[in-house]
Amino acid sequence: MSENILEITGLVTRVSGYTILDDLHFSVQENELRVLLGPNGAGKTTLIDMISGRYKPTGGKIHFRGRDITGLPPHKIFKRGICRKFQVPNMYETLRVFDNVMISLAGHRLVVQSLFHKHTAADHERVVEILEFIGLAGKAEYPADALSHGERQWLEMGMLIAADPKMLLLDEPTTGMTEADKQKTAGLIQRIAERHTVLLVEHDMHVVRRLARYVTVLHQGNILAEGSLEDVVANEQVRQVYLGQGKFGGA
Amino acid sequence: MTTASTGLGGARLRLRREPMFPLWSIAGVAAVVAILATYPLYGTEYVMNLLGMFVCFSIFALSISLIWGFAGILSLGQAIYFGMGAYFIALSLKLSYAAENPTRYGGTIPDYMEWNGLEEVPTIMAPLMHLEVAIVCLLFFPTLLAFIFGVITFKRHIYGVYCAVITLAEALILQEFIIEYQAYTGGFNGITDYETYNNMYFLWIILGVAVVLFGATRLLTHSRIGTVLKSVRDNDVRAEFNGYEVANYRIFVFCFASMMAAVAGGLYAAWMGIVSHLDTGPILSIEGVIWAAVGGRSTVIGPFVGTFLVKGAEFFLSQQLAWAWQLVMGLLFIFVVKFMPDGIIGTMGKSIANRRMRSAYAETGGAYGAETLSIADRLRAVFAGGNASFMDYLFGRDGRRG
Repeated sequence: MSENILEITGLVTRVSGYTILDDLHFSVQENELRVLLGPNGAGKTTLIDMISGRYKPTGGKIHFRGRDITGLPPHKIFKRGICRKFQVPNMYETLRVFDNVMISLAGHRLVVQSLFHKHTAADHERVVEILEFIGLAGKAEYPADALSHGERQWLEMGMLIAADPKMLLLDEPTTGMTEADKQKTAGLIQRIAERHTVLLVEHDMHVVRRLARYVTVLHQGNILAEGSLEDVVANEQVRQVYLGQGKFGGA
Repeated sequence: MTTASTGLGGARLRLRREPMFPLWSIAGVAAVVAILATYPLYGTEYVMNLLGMFVCFSIFALSISLIWGFAGILSLGQAIYFGMGAYFIALSLKLSYAAENPTRYGGTIPDYMEWNGLEEVPTIMAPLMHLEVAIVCLLFFPTLLAFIFGVITFKRHIYGVYCAVITLAEALILQEFIIEYQAYTGGFNGITDYETYNNMYFLWIILGVAVVLFGATRLLTHSRIGTVLKSVRDNDVRAEFNGYEVANYRIFVFCFASMMAAVAGGLYAAWMGIVSHLDTGPILSIEGVIWAAVGGRSTVIGPFVGTFLVKGAEFFLSQQLAWAWQLVMGLLFIFVVKFMPDGIIGTMGKSIANRRMRSAYAETGGAYGAETLSIADRLRAVFAGGNASFMDYLFGRDGRRG
């Protein structure tokens, strides 16, 4: 097996007295597609926030590719190779779809570089390729705020692909999609996972079943179970946690 | 990996490349410049004075557009930099004028220094007598101040409302400073009575500088860094998580715009022959915001159009409407915010772009569904209570956070 690309030890997050993450130990291997499950309030998004540098953890360490990234600002964590998607699609609303992806292409993040870099034919080609991949090539000239909800989700994933990070953090990319769109998205994630390490937060069991190889279940800020999807679903504790919500009922 | 064939598919990509300087814009600028440049040959001196002043103010409004419309920073203290530029040039001209034209009491220092009991020009101010020194100072010090203010503000993630309040306070402080140290600055009365550059040739210089700065702004806003600035304006959180150190981009554009404002101020001082604390204060800053908003804050030509319309209306209407002029300005601003947030040029540009897109997509059988609100729609939305808030307009979607 390959090395652990992400290594979290003893992560603690307290927000105004409430413990969101409690002494969490968690690791992800290189080129793995890891699915993060858990009921509402389990701390899934908080964990993504901590890894991507949105907030600083109260305690504990996060190592990425062997280097300590605990508490670094988001742009530095990006530089180390982590890029995240937000639960609510987050993009540059008035820019064209094309520019949204162009701006996200890897490299040229410094002011001086932005000032003097001229987009090459290769850059252009790459953006076209990504737009075709996410199915938005026909809407390249649309301003991003003219897209439908599903298209916005795909655009943000396209921006992540363009950034070409080592690891992608995807926070509920199928929220608010129709069943058909969810399957499309699952297909996208599968393709992305061929080349990148992916940490995926997902609620929809159809999508999870299609994608998951290895699953981590969070509950009340800590890991409740970890293993293959079958093992986790069979786990008595997991069943109890989810019982009231009926999440696994039909699955 | 050949992603193209295995993805979600969909229509082929069609992308129109907008030229940096479209032919019609070059023609338009040439026509306007020609009219303004030849005006002194057949027009009145009074109107010529106004035109030169308006061009200076339009550069100032452009600097506000650049940081507000393109980068989402609302500064209510942009006149700080305009004023600094103006004071450097006015001081320089005043010093050399005083050296050659002794005052009534025989002194060769500026009259206001004499009145305030100074015996000679303070040593740090003396080099300003040379215009070249003053020009270098004009380019350097306002930019340096903008850099310091920018680092203090943006590196600590202060923007939106807080940034507007801080810049407003900075403008008030500078104004107080100028009034307080009147031996050096001329105080409340400002600096006047010096050799002005108020002739056709200097009008040409003003126009030349304006063309260069408007062109530079167009280059800046329509290249990669312009796109990054707009992305920071639209969604600074996304930009930060996309690897851009947002603060550095804000500092850069703030410095650039401030230098531009200082240049406008310098030209203004040379042209008008008087500079006072009013040219550094919040009122001029806010007027600049209105000019930019009326013309179109996210366009390059908008500030020019807005300045000429609003400032022009001020000069020709305020004679009749002197008692109500401020009220008219206020109502105009409310109208723009409510019904025409993209300003005159911005609204025109958007409707042209939308029409073009719609016909382009109609050709291929697709529908273009970008939201376009007509003024009538906006009116209806206001009465239905569903209009975007004033705060959103001023600071952008994310700007209200601290």
